[in-house]
Amino acid sequence: MPPILEARDVTKRYRLGAGDVEAVRGVSLAVEPGEFVAFMGPSGSGKSTLLHLLGGLDRPTSGDVVLDGALVSRLSDDAATKLRREKTGFVFQFFNLVPLLSVWENVALPFTIAGEDARRAEHAAAIRAVLASVDLAGKERNRPDQLSAGEQQRVALARALVRRPALLLADEPTGNLDFATGTEILDRLWRSCHEGGQTVVLVTHDAKAAAYADRVYVLRDGSLRDEIRLGRREDHGAAPLIARLADLGL
Amino acid sequence: MRALDALARRTLVARPLRTILTIVGIALGVGVLVAALVLNAGLDAAAERSVRDQLGRTDLRVAAFEERGLSRASLAALATTPGVAVVAPELERRTYPVPDPLAGSGLPVPVTVIGVDPAADAALHDRPLASGSPLPAGGGDVILVSDALARADGLAVGATITLNGSVESGPRAFRVSGILAAVPGDPDPAGRSIVVPLQVAQTLFSTDAVSRADLGLTPGSGVAAVTAALESRLSAEPYTLTTPGELIADLRASTADFRAMIALVAAVSLFGGAFLIFNTLAMTVAERARDVGLLRAAGMTRRQVTLLVLISAGHLGIAGVALGLATGVGLAAAVTAYVSPGGGVLALRELVIPPAGLLLGALLGFGVTIAAALEPALRAGRISPVAALTARLEQTAVLRARLRWLTVVFAVVGVAGIALWPGAADGSAGLLRPLAVYGLLLGVALVGPFLVGPLGVLVGAIARPFLPAEERLTRSALVRDRSRTALTVGALAMALAVLVALGGVAATTRQAATAWLTEVVPGDALLTSVRPVALDEPQLADLAAVPGVARLSPIGRFAVAVGGQRLDAAAVVGADLLSDGRLVLTAGDRAAALPALDAGGAVILPAAVADRLGLPLGGLLQVLAGPEIVALRVVGIAARTIPGSSGEAVLVGWPDATQRLGALGADVFAVRYVPGQAAAAAAALEPLARANALEPASLQAVAGTIGASVDRLFALLTALAVVALIVAGLGIVNTLTMNVLERVRELGILRAAGLTRRQARRLVMLEAAVLGAVGAIIGVGAGIVAGAILAALGAGPGVTYDPGLGSIALALVGGVALAVVASVWPASLASRIEIVRAVQYE
Repeated sequence: MPPILEARDVTKRYRLGAGDVEAVRGVSLAVEPGEFVAFMGPSGSGKSTLLHLLGGLDRPTSGDVVLDGALVSRLSDDAATKLRREKTGFVFQFFNLVPLLSVWENVALPFTIAGEDARRAEHAAAIRAVLASVDLAGKERNRPDQLSAGEQQRVALARALVRRPALLLADEPTGNLDFATGTEILDRLWRSCHEGGQTVVLVTHDAKAAAYADRVYVLRDGSLRDEIRLGRREDHGAAPLIARLADLGL
Repeated sequence: MRALDALARRTLVARPLRTILTIVGIALGVGVLVAALVLNAGLDAAAERSVRDQLGRTDLRVAAFEERGLSRASLAALATTPGVAVVAPELERRTYPVPDPLAGSGLPVPVTVIGVDPAADAALHDRPLASGSPLPAGGGDVILVSDALARADGLAVGATITLNGSVESGPRAFRVSGILAAVPGDPDPAGRSIVVPLQVAQTLFSTDAVSRADLGLTPGSGVAAVTAALESRLSAEPYTLTTPGELIADLRASTADFRAMIALVAAVSLFGGAFLIFNTLAMTVAERARDVGLLRAAGMTRRQVTLLVLISAGHLGIAGVALGLATGVGLAAAVTAYVSPGGGVLALRELVIPPAGLLLGALLGFGVTIAAALEPALRAGRISPVAALTARLEQTAVLRARLRWLTVVFAVVGVAGIALWPGAADGSAGLLRPLAVYGLLLGVALVGPFLVGPLGVLVGAIARPFLPAEERLTRSALVRDRSRTALTVGALAMALAVLVALGGVAATTRQAATAWLTEVVPGDALLTSVRPVALDEPQLADLAAVPGVARLSPIGRFAVAVGGQRLDAAAVVGADLLSDGRLVLTAGDRAAALPALDAGGAVILPAAVADRLGLPLGGLLQVLAGPEIVALRVVGIAARTIPGSSGEAVLVGWPDATQRLGALGADVFAVRYVPGQAAAAAAALEPLARANALEPASLQAVAGTIGASVDRLFALLTALAVVALIVAGLGIVNTLTMNVLERVRELGILRAAGLTRRQARRLVMLEAAVLGAVGAIIGVGAGIVAGAILAALGAGPGVTYDPGLGSIALALVGGVALAVVASVWPASLASRIEIVRAVQYE
């Protein structure tokens, strides 16, 4: 089976003042369907930039990104957007819920954006199911400002999962949460992958979070430094990963 | 203070487009206000100059009431009245020059002949000459012609012109001895006037009477004393006494409606400008809340923060007012240039720029700017460092504060508008109209916040089948900041309300001005004469004998004196109106009333006059006719009659008109054609009419001419009201931009979740369309009511309000179109949001 996600010698360069900065340089990688992959690295290593390129949120300066067989880096903005709509779900560090929509309406956004009526039976059932899976059943009518930080991030996660996308991309989803709440989010991500067969790509600077992954890519200064294979494990102990990172001097 | 000023400037410079938009908005609002003040000054100056040109050094003008004029006996009485030093009599008549046989078959353009006593005239009037010599003291067949007449007809000094006189005297040739210099205020509508010696004019028109006499008083004599002396001496016929001051006041009053409309437009434009200021500063405060919190944490006092915002407003106000003064003068110049060739009720001649008016405009504009900035400034001062970091939308509190602000600013703008409104200084009656209209507009603005939600859902439902995603997201955007949305909608609604009101008043005015043609005139066409035509003149029989002409019905318009007041009167043939089914009576029996006119001793009153005089059906109208009182029984009250020079005319029969009330003849003949023969009959009648100095015109043509002059005036007012609409449009640009900037992260997430750029653009444009539609619905509703108020209070009874469907349709479509056009840039902004930056945006 071909990879669901590929980066082929991808580089991203930004103009900063008089010169250029290479946030990502010559990265090539592949993610298999149903894998849980994490990108780790210090601040400024390019891991979030790489995630955005892989998810089609941004275009590489050179190189290609292939998403589920489509050369997303060469598609028009509209085509890339529609592909992203169908194939991916995003979770960000700052929740990013629409403040004046209810929990139900925030989760229904992927249907709404696609021009589908979220009240249709199958969509309504999907919304109810995903809210239940993140333990938010009964809070459908609440607005974001009536939820705790953890609950808000669970709504964001539910929104990303509601259409059962093939690929889930999460950029520091636990960065704003306490340890217990963050663990709940990571557990849910892992279940999506392990039980739901979805592919998850996680960006984190936290080894305990990265320990949920089957594989960890380590980035530094925009380049892939190492690839650490942890394998699929029920126990997400971080000790092996931390030891390996220590060997790398991180 | 200097540091605050520097910070304020940097804040404005950091958002150049927003700053420029705001300045332009203030400039437009102040511009219309200044234009109104400049135009008012121009109208006042034009009125004074017009009267000066007409009356010269006259202290008192005695004018004949009846068409017969002032008799020799009256002139003799004037000359011997104590306190009167100079009596300068004038006879004014309109006639046609004898046409050039080589010219076409149409009637030449008529001229106004003014017969004067050269010696007495020179004592009171200046008639500067461009060339030639003045009238000789001894009289003779020499004339002075106006500059316009000389140029139009190619007359030079020494040329000959033949004028048609009365039936008895026939045509007479005159030599041009001088050409009058071109001065404004010619008594002829087209500037075609001729000055002749009085005796010559009296011979030409077979009369020994005069139209009026201008009096110069002896030094030290008071007008009141002379007036009292005249009352006991002038008893031969009714007359009017007018001083120059009274004439000026009358001219000013005749432009009252125009000034009132300008004042309304100025107030709405100014309010729109105030809203822009408010919006800009509210945006700045919201954007800088964190900065303000940090400044407060670092030790800046609340007062200093408030001052910072007010200083920003001051800079915007100064720039906006400066630009507004120039804009206002420019607008006034454009209006003056548009209006002055046509003349008419708006006798603007030149641009008059009153320093006091400019100062008032500047102060009001600046004052409104600061008033608009108060709420955002006070709110900024109340920001605490903690609140700045955890800023939450407190919808209810913000809405209450903004509604308070709205009322304060509206009060300030309303005071400005009422100060401009003519007649407001006259007391409670003059205040009623502006208060009613401003009250309605304030109501629109206050009620707007509560209507936006439900109306927005209703309007959005129309878009839902086509743009479901955008419609759902638009709904949330509109209620994000309900008060801001409501104020944006309110400014648009008010501008559209003014446009719709103008359209309704224009349609009603047009209807009132032309309805008499179809409701009263017993004919298909009119033949108009410049002089009264006696009913026994032989050419009338020839005209009535033309095949296809069923009837020629004479109508004569003149004036009567009732209880010291001048009333317009018209002589009609009751039987003709009865057989034609014309003239609707609101009281009285048509079948009895109209024949009663022909029998004599009867009168039909227009409803407005009956109300004013308090005369019921069966009452007696006491008309002063010479030394006698003629009592006419009121046999009917009509919704509408024939318009006179200052109102609707009372209708009398011909026997009363000619034998008792001094009418000399008909000035209009209504022609009824035999059905099916109109075209052929008209083709035969018209050349015959012209040959007898009667100008033919169909009722449609007459209605068209009247309608065109009404439309011209209202086109001008509409153009100014469009300025208010532009200001509202700028407000929409501001609001939508603010909405986009506040939702950068949200839009980024939506884009990340699959919203295309096109959808993002459509989202903002749909938001604008909904705003525009809601504003249009509210504005049209308010405009219909405002128009009805203005029409009812201005036109009086008997006029049915016509809301002007064309204006309504234009406002509905235009409101949405304006909003969508205003959304182009904010929509582009939304579509260009970079997803990565947006999701990290704080």
